[in-house]
Amino acid sequence: MIGGKFIEGVGASTLRVAQEVGGIVVLTGQVLRALFPPRIDRRELFKNLYKMGNRSVPIVVLTAFFAGGLMTLQAGPFVKKLGATSLAGWGAGYAVLREIGPILIGLMFSGRVGANNTAELATMTVTEQLDGLRSLAIDPIRFLVVPRVIAMIVMLVALTILGDFVALVGSSVVAKAMLDIDFSTMYYSFVDNLTPADFLHGIYKSIAFGAAIAFSSCYFGVTVRGGAVGVGKAVNAAVVAAAVSIMLLDFFLTYLSSH
Amino acid sequence: MKFLRTRIERLGSGVLETGRAAVELWMVYVGTVAGLFRRGKNRPRGELARQMHAIGNKSLVFIIVTLGFIGMVMTYEACMQLSRITGDYSQVGSQFLRLIISDFGPTLAGLMLATRVGAGIAAEIGSMKVTEQIDALRMSGVLPIDYLIVPRFIASLVMTLMLSVIGATVMYTAGGLTAQYSFGVNPNLYFDISQIRPRHVILMVIKALSYGAAIPVVAGFCGLRARGSSEGVGWATTAAVIGGSFAVIILDFLISAAALFLTGGDL
Amino acid sequence: MSDAAIHIHGVHKSYGRREVLAGISLDVPAGSRLGLIGPAASGKSVIAKLACGLEQPDKGEIIVLGEDMVGKREVQLGPVRRRIGMLFQNYALFDFLTVERNVAFPLEQRGGMAADEIKAKVTERIKSVGLAGSEQKLTAELSGGMKKRVGIARATVADAELVIYDEPTAGLDPVTTQKIYDLLTADQVRTKATVLAISSDVVALAQFVDEIAFLYQGHIIYRGPAATIADAPDPLVRQFVRGELEGPLEDVRKAQT
Repeated sequence: MIGGKFIEGVGASTLRVAQEVGGIVVLTGQVLRALFPPRIDRRELFKNLYKMGNRSVPIVVLTAFFAGGLMTLQAGPFVKKLGATSLAGWGAGYAVLREIGPILIGLMFSGRVGANNTAELATMTVTEQLDGLRSLAIDPIRFLVVPRVIAMIVMLVALTILGDFVALVGSSVVAKAMLDIDFSTMYYSFVDNLTPADFLHGIYKSIAFGAAIAFSSCYFGVTVRGGAVGVGKAVNAAVVAAAVSIMLLDFFLTYLSSH
Repeated sequence: MKFLRTRIERLGSGVLETGRAAVELWMVYVGTVAGLFRRGKNRPRGELARQMHAIGNKSLVFIIVTLGFIGMVMTYEACMQLSRITGDYSQVGSQFLRLIISDFGPTLAGLMLATRVGAGIAAEIGSMKVTEQIDALRMSGVLPIDYLIVPRFIASLVMTLMLSVIGATVMYTAGGLTAQYSFGVNPNLYFDISQIRPRHVILMVIKALSYGAAIPVVAGFCGLRARGSSEGVGWATTAAVIGGSFAVIILDFLISAAALFLTGGDL
Repeated sequence: MSDAAIHIHGVHKSYGRREVLAGISLDVPAGSRLGLIGPAASGKSVIAKLACGLEQPDKGEIIVLGEDMVGKREVQLGPVRRRIGMLFQNYALFDFLTVERNVAFPLEQRGGMAADEIKAKVTERIKSVGLAGSEQKLTAELSGGMKKRVGIARATVADAELVIYDEPTAGLDPVTTQKIYDLLTADQVRTKATVLAISSDVVALAQFVDEIAFLYQGHIIYRGPAATIADAPDPLVRQFVRGELEGPLEDVRKAQT
């Protein structure tokens, strides 16, 4: 009895997830098709670039600073144990550039910009503004979704570059304050041990994360149903989908890049 | 001049607004803790179990998937680095476990829960706020914090701890499998718990409980502040995700720094 | 003054820079039925919320059922709120409870009643608003008119001494409107509760209440018997009640479109 119910539940949620993944893929296809020929509403694009960047700079800077500091804190005991202060920058920097930086900034970006975007599109959907656009023969995908997708990918990459830098500063400050490691030691530790490939690895990831956040947030925004309650649920679903996609993509990109 | 003045005015009102919000957030927290000690006769029966199910059971798959994959990535990256330098994998498992228990397990679980649970709570309470259900509760002499946030608070405390343990286990196991299949690390060498001290476990419990307490309070606060209609709910949900994630990161930083300080760097 | 169920004096309330109430005073004598009308967004609902202590005024005094509502903490307002029934503009039904549990909610929270007593009372109330058979439905399954009825049942189930109806018939068809007002009248006759009813539908409201007050630009500019409201001496009120486009009212045209 309970077993049957459980299997039923698993089946139902698998179906729902499959349906949503399918929906996101279809939306991705529509966006790609809308790019040829590339007639993008410039004003909408620049408005979104400005809004998304402007909104998320403070939170990204703060997050990156603390993330960098945290990595130093985690590397601290090893460094103390081995007495090898020159390795502190290596451990923290490597983790920040390749993993923690892109992931944390991606998650924060998803919470700030992705969720906001879902809320905005969802509100437009429940107040029938999308139908209004259609009645004027304007394709909402081309007019609303495409500029947002482009803006989100571009902005997440830009923010990751900024965040990487801030995180390295953060880990140096914490190294100085907590472990008494000089700024110059940290600097040389970064320069000697980190390669441009490590940095680029993080940037590739941020492009993929940006696309994942953009498509899931737009998808849940335009498919919302049912007033204020629906908008809340849509935002919830969008951030969860973005978090799962970030973790999955992170794994596959790490794995692929080394083969 | 006029431009400058409006700028300063805006900055001033922004600071005031932030201050007011901080006070309100604190009041929600105080109200929640006070609510723990009031008699719960007002709360619907079975509410705690329902919230535990909503917060815990329904996040289980999410936590397993996300933390499993990140555990794989982390071991993979660590082994790659080691292969370039020493090629000695004997310490990977024991050191990774130490990091998972004292930090990554609870913190990544906390971040994921801030997203899923925080957004869920804010969406629910925010919808109730804009549809005046909160006012209707107050008309019956019910304190919304008591009725809505306290059960979620207790459920979140318990479930964040449990999911942190589960998440850490999944992370560690997934990492072990990766190390074995991609780098040929001997499982007996990897699954080595000799490096774990009680203080690591205590740190995990402290972190998990702190995140578990912060997430529902921040989310409930955001939900109760929702205004307007659907935009208001959207705003509340967004703010809860950001506020909750940021609370986790700050708490992690403070607790880790304090632990490092207290143990004299030998954590 | 002591026989006023609601005593509002010199109350100011602003939201941001918009002053919604600019020093209004309003008394509702115990046992009477007062209708409150005014253009959209003129602050009628704000008065209702102030009277329950759901909002606090910027300035002024508010005494409801003998209790001072200003500057109190949430916990202190509980007892007086339980003596007030409120029908919210958008129903505000609990979407996580069934119809039956919604109506039972005020009784359960007030305490002091046995479960079977509550059950009997709730069943009777649901029947009297014409919803017998819908007890176990969730509120999302109901139509607008049914939700209003559940809201009315919830507002009146605890035999409140003061009942506030915020737009009891907005968005309902004329027949349902008539049924709702018949229900409210029968109820008030039975309980002798004081009633404050807010509505934009003056004609229907006029047959339910004894007196009508007109709220305009932050002030109560007119108050008089409901029966003769259409012939009120004030040209503003006459214009509003008759729905004329030409006249001294500034924002009626905006509000009506």
